[in-house]
Amino acid sequence: MSLEITLTVNGKTHTAALEPSTALVDFLRDTLGYKGVKLCCNTGECGACTIIMDGKPVNSCVVLGADAAGADLVTVEGIADGDALHPVQQAFIDTGAVQCGYCTPGFIVSLKALLDRTKNPTAEEVEEAISGNICRCTGYTKIYEAVDLAAKQMS
Amino acid sequence: MDYFEPKTVSEALSLLDQHGEQAEVIAGGTDVMVDIKYKDEPGCLVNIKRIPDLNAIRESNGGVHIGPLATIHELEESDIVRERLPLLWQAAHQFASLQIRNTATIGGNICRASPSGETLAPLLVLEAEAEVTFSDGARTEPFGAFFKGPGQTSLGSRGLLTGISVPFPAAGNHAVYLKHAVRGPMDIAMVGVAVMATANADKSALDDVRVGLGAVAPTPIRAPKTEALVSGKALDAALLKEAGACSASESSPITDQRSSGEYRGWIVDALTRRGLAQCWQALTGKEVA
Repeated sequence: MSLEITLTVNGKTHTAALEPSTALVDFLRDTLGYKGVKLCCNTGECGACTIIMDGKPVNSCVVLGADAAGADLVTVEGIADGDALHPVQQAFIDTGAVQCGYCTPGFIVSLKALLDRTKNPTAEEVEEAISGNICRCTGYTKIYEAVDLAAKQMS
Repeated sequence: MDYFEPKTVSEALSLLDQHGEQAEVIAGGTDVMVDIKYKDEPGCLVNIKRIPDLNAIRESNGGVHIGPLATIHELEESDIVRERLPLLWQAAHQFASLQIRNTATIGGNICRASPSGETLAPLLVLEAEAEVTFSDGARTEPFGAFFKGPGQTSLGSRGLLTGISVPFPAAGNHAVYLKHAVRGPMDIAMVGVAVMATANADKSALDDVRVGLGAVAPTPIRAPKTEALVSGKALDAALLKEAGACSASESSPITDQRSSGEYRGWIVDALTRRGLAQCWQALTGKEVA
């Protein structure tokens, strides 16, 4: 059995077929080609597959693809404005917050969602926003510095 | 795998009648998706996420009505939950990551019936009721009767949880939810303890003490002997010690990859004492002497 759904990703409308058991992460990567969405733990624990779904960060590995019908999604590919990086992306470069880079798209998306809802987040709010994103290179200090820098540049 | 998106409760119920044990209900999906990937795929998936009006959180009949499709983050963001049901709010706030809280539903947490489900011990302590609906009718039952064992509820394979009613706790109560886990909210609780109490008129004793325990029995449980031991008394160090030991004796924890049963018993003891002491201090303004 196959379903056909229509959804918006980074402002672009897509209509495509999927199996009903397909996770949203697999649909985004394998059917629509958004490879910036990283598949890692595949159980909703690491945050590498974080996307913004109707304004809220979610783990796309534990969302049913079919639930994205009619939804408005933002992936890491949709965060820059053309060639101009989003302040969070630029701040990751400027502070050296990237090591192996696998967790980075998830962190960028979680932090973009945070800065969309809170202009000057407290340390506690930052901690909460990325509590579901795991970096096994353990580079959290630089990531905190990057959020501070991005928040300053956005205000 | 067959897949259905019923638009009404009655449509969902007739699908469950038709497909019986083959059917799996999915709402947020944070647990069911993991099962689909790593366990056997169900014969059919009944996605109830698009049934309208099942995610409301509103004041109703001296309490709060919570729709089972309300997400954990919606509970956390709800003024009425934060102000009137702080115990449930604390559990929602310690529930996994923001990404999971944006997806997982309270109904899913309940129907999953994991003994460690974060909202379950608080719901028992709040004396909340489940509205369970079958194709031949609906009834309400206290959550104390709803949980039958790990993963087992009175819904069986044909019922749906269609509402959660939480009465407002007594005015002037204090409540705490304490979770013990290695990695904070991200981790499944080794032990969760919910404590709620009021003080008597001259603040010399605790009244209506309620203790709920998660992850230390086949279902979330209340600790009635501990509640009776402490209710109506002033909390001193000796009573506190006795209450901790009593609470541990009411639990029956298993040993698994997260913790030994013996260790869980010690944590029940410690968190019960901590929760009672916090209630005593908040309600009377005094330290436990």
